[in-house]
Amino acid sequence: MATENKQTMKPFSVHMNKDLQRRYRAEKRFQRCGIAAIAIALSFLALLFASIIGSGYTAFRQTFIELDVHFSEDLFKDENLAAADYAGLIKQALRTAFPEVKERRALKSLYMLVSPGAAFSLQDMVKEDSRLIGSRQKIWVPANDDVDMLIKGQMKATEAEADRRLKDDQLGWIGQLEKDGKLETRFNTTFFTSGDSREPELAGIWGAVKGSFYSLLITLLLSFPIGVAAAVYLEEFAPKNFWTDIIEVNINNLAAVPSIIFGLLGLAIFINFWGLPRSTPLVGGLVLTLMTLPVIIIAGRASLKSVPPSIREAALGIGASKMQMVTHHVLPLAMPGMLTGAIIGMARALGDTAPLLMIGMVAFIVDIPGGFTDSATALPVQIYLWADSSERAFTEKTSAAIMVLLAFLICMNAAAVIMRKKFETKW
Amino acid sequence: MELTSQLANQSFPTLPTYDFAASLEQTEAQSAVRQTVGNPFLDNPRMTCRDVAVFYGEKQAIRHINIDVGCNEVLAMIGPSGCGKSTLLRCLNRMNDTVPGCRVEGEIRLDGENIYDPSVDVVPLRARVGMVFQKPNPFPKSIFDNVAYGPKIHGFTTDKAELADIVETSLIKAGLWEEVKDRLQEPGTGLSGGQQQRLCIARAIAVSPEVILMDEPCSALDPIATAKIEELIAELREQFSIVIVTHAMQQASRVSQRTAYFHLGDLIEVGPTERIFTNPRHRLTEDYITGRFG
Amino acid sequence: MNVKSLFLASALTMTLVSTGTAMAARDAISIVGSSTVYPFSTAVAEQFGKTSNFKTPKIESTGTGGGFKLFCGGVGVSFPDISNASRAIKDSEKETCTANGVKDIVEVKIGYDGIVLANAKTAAPMKLTRKEIYLALAKEVPDAAHAGKFIANPYKTWKDINPELPATAIEVLGPPPTSGTRDAFVEMVMVAGAEKFDFIKAMSKSDKNAFKAATETLREDGAYIEAGENDNLIVQKLQANPKAFGIFGFSFLDQNADVVQGAVIEGEVPTFEAISAGKYPVSRPLFFYVKKAHIDVIPGIKEFTAEFTSEKAWGPEGYLADKGMIPMPDAERKQVAADVASLKTM
Repeated sequence: MATENKQTMKPFSVHMNKDLQRRYRAEKRFQRCGIAAIAIALSFLALLFASIIGSGYTAFRQTFIELDVHFSEDLFKDENLAAADYAGLIKQALRTAFPEVKERRALKSLYMLVSPGAAFSLQDMVKEDSRLIGSRQKIWVPANDDVDMLIKGQMKATEAEADRRLKDDQLGWIGQLEKDGKLETRFNTTFFTSGDSREPELAGIWGAVKGSFYSLLITLLLSFPIGVAAAVYLEEFAPKNFWTDIIEVNINNLAAVPSIIFGLLGLAIFINFWGLPRSTPLVGGLVLTLMTLPVIIIAGRASLKSVPPSIREAALGIGASKMQMVTHHVLPLAMPGMLTGAIIGMARALGDTAPLLMIGMVAFIVDIPGGFTDSATALPVQIYLWADSSERAFTEKTSAAIMVLLAFLICMNAAAVIMRKKFETKW
Repeated sequence: MELTSQLANQSFPTLPTYDFAASLEQTEAQSAVRQTVGNPFLDNPRMTCRDVAVFYGEKQAIRHINIDVGCNEVLAMIGPSGCGKSTLLRCLNRMNDTVPGCRVEGEIRLDGENIYDPSVDVVPLRARVGMVFQKPNPFPKSIFDNVAYGPKIHGFTTDKAELADIVETSLIKAGLWEEVKDRLQEPGTGLSGGQQQRLCIARAIAVSPEVILMDEPCSALDPIATAKIEELIAELREQFSIVIVTHAMQQASRVSQRTAYFHLGDLIEVGPTERIFTNPRHRLTEDYITGRFG
Repeated sequence: MNVKSLFLASALTMTLVSTGTAMAARDAISIVGSSTVYPFSTAVAEQFGKTSNFKTPKIESTGTGGGFKLFCGGVGVSFPDISNASRAIKDSEKETCTANGVKDIVEVKIGYDGIVLANAKTAAPMKLTRKEIYLALAKEVPDAAHAGKFIANPYKTWKDINPELPATAIEVLGPPPTSGTRDAFVEMVMVAGAEKFDFIKAMSKSDKNAFKAATETLREDGAYIEAGENDNLIVQKLQANPKAFGIFGFSFLDQNADVVQGAVIEGEVPTFEAISAGKYPVSRPLFFYVKKAHIDVIPGIKEFTAEFTSEKAWGPEGYLADKGMIPMPDAERKQVAADVASLKTM
């Protein structure tokens, strides 16, 4: 080559060596920065998980008290089994367990040891099997949340009596129950099977899980086909002109719009204008569809763009129509990317409360929803509501619900990875 | 060759060869169409191009081209990059329709029928004028499905045995049958580059086209695979008309009967291949085939 | 992936959605309103749902104002039946109601809620007056040097206000302006404290706007910290910082009596008894409002109000007291219960 370049081209000169070392050092520095960034991110994540799991794992166990319940016939004279005084049965059982307690106030604090939900579990037992009437049964009933907190060590028995929610005599009874083996912690099935409650020991997430499920089902069924169709039209068929540019800009903007706006829109259109019932997964799903659509359209377009043009040419060159080119070749190749986009959008929809606030899904709902038009909440809403409750025992329930939500998110992301693997075409 | 072309494009002032940059300026300054040397017309053509001009937006890519494609012949189109040979090729089965802003003037006839007539549907047209691309582009499907796709969408047959027959014949014609007959269900993308390109040819001939367009079909292949494709082209000529765009002049001289030389959107010279390569009449043709510029 | 089936599924969903519009009947009571009443309302609703044959009412925590907006929207199944409120309904809200056809409303007063100024148990308890709290938290306070003039709040420590108070910096965590608790606190402490100054009191008649600005604007120099709507969070922050005080509802003090203590205000300790007797100055009545037109349409409204106003719910020994609600005196309870039973409208 040109002769005047010889000076700088000496490959193994001292100068070159120094320069090389400098370049290697820069690379090392860059790598170290990267590792540090990852370490920081991981440690934050670990901290988050540790704090959530640390404060939430206890919620999966619940303190139960064994009572010797006598289902005496006298109480069930009425035909209506629901009308019987089940609370009375519990009180009677407690009185038999502690015959020495006589005074009215003391009795009241004795009754406080057992959850108000205990009577309902007796009611359910009798409803299920009426042969229980007249028999004597040893039954484990949930303890009150204060007792539960004490047993789990989240309430100190060393504080002055006036500052404790459990008084000295109650502590004495609890001690005695423990000594007799009539008090133990068990796996908290209630948490996974029941709806919301004002009593922490009776509160569960099943209602919220089902509410989220129904909402997301609507969201998926609507946003995926609409999103894919919109993406395909915009990417493959639409002419490039002023209007499609406007549409594109708007879709990109919508993806960044705060989710509460979609809630307001949903309130105005779905509830006030269409007259759909408030607080239902139907409306929730529609609102979340609005929120998810831009994400799916953008992801869909990106994955359509990534399909090599040679495949399009091949299909067209053989005489496929544009529609055949899209459905036979382009869409199957873009599908993994579209699915990933859809699942990311759905995960965002699963975790969002703000749009649900406006359409009345942030509500106290005990009954477990059985369909799209029953009142329901959603998982993140349940977390938000519990976090705002004054009872101490709801703190651990909040963390436990967060763990459940995280588990769902992890499952969804895993599903995204699996689907992508499954639909991915080997090149 | 490539290097000289680049050098020419960078217009080194000291280079003593043909001043390509100057010629470029000239052609842009003078808008008059260059006369084609040689006779572009045939007696019994399969396809005819009359006064064809193509625009990409405001920019004109080719200008007033007249050329015929004969039956059972291989027409090679050569010329430096950007000369419009691929553009013309893609007009022949209206693949340019997919390019936004592309406009075609003049008329192109296939068996006497103007393919740019509004009443003509491009889908059957593309079945009659097949195309093989520069880079092998089999569908990410099985070998069988790749070949069977065309017959299926055009509704040639619904019978499985008949379809298998078409696939086999096409693969035999493309000279690929012996190599793949035991693995028809394996993905077409798993084949070697040369095999993939022959699979693409099989895919194109499975719909029994009249004309096959080849856009630099060997540029991504090694010499051995190239030789095979060239052999194949020679065989296919007996059944189809073939138009091939190529950068390799040896290839053009080996496979084609007629050669057309394009330069900056003009058809400069056309004639029997042998004559073009031994006795070019236009100075630009001569410069190109003697390697003065790429 | 079969694209056709995908589109079919979407078409089906569309049909499903459109048919869903047709059904409009509602069999559960819909309640909206104050977040302060929410814990009590939900407790009653749950009890009601479990012991009756009716569905458990659905309760949304929208805030008092938001609740009335929905409640007064009109009559019909798409509007709520009951609105909870941590203050009495305003005249303007009543007008909206009437304008939208909501004419007959039954007002039910259910009890009281106290607002406390609390600090961590690890710190010394405080004795304060409303005037001192006003001086500590108002953005502009009366100038000690020039009578009748305001200056930017100069007080850095509690001792600056009253030499008997400790020399710790003023640091109060409280709810943001969107909260009903904040409204109540401003009204019952800040305004009442400010009115101890005669010239400010005179302003309430002469210059309403200036009066409002002087009494209702809280400090923005860091002494008052908006800690969000979550009272649990404030309790946790108080534990971490013994110098700070927090403003929240009595029920949170009740539930967390082992970690935080309420400041003595005007010589009254915030206890259940003091609030119930009306001695503790910072307490407010709680209400719910029933749309009379809905009573025969939505099943269970009468029974729900009966449950709410029964002794086992709102009595001194009732379960609402366990949740931190302060019951009304016996006579008042009796009166309200009778009014509700006869559906006496406002």
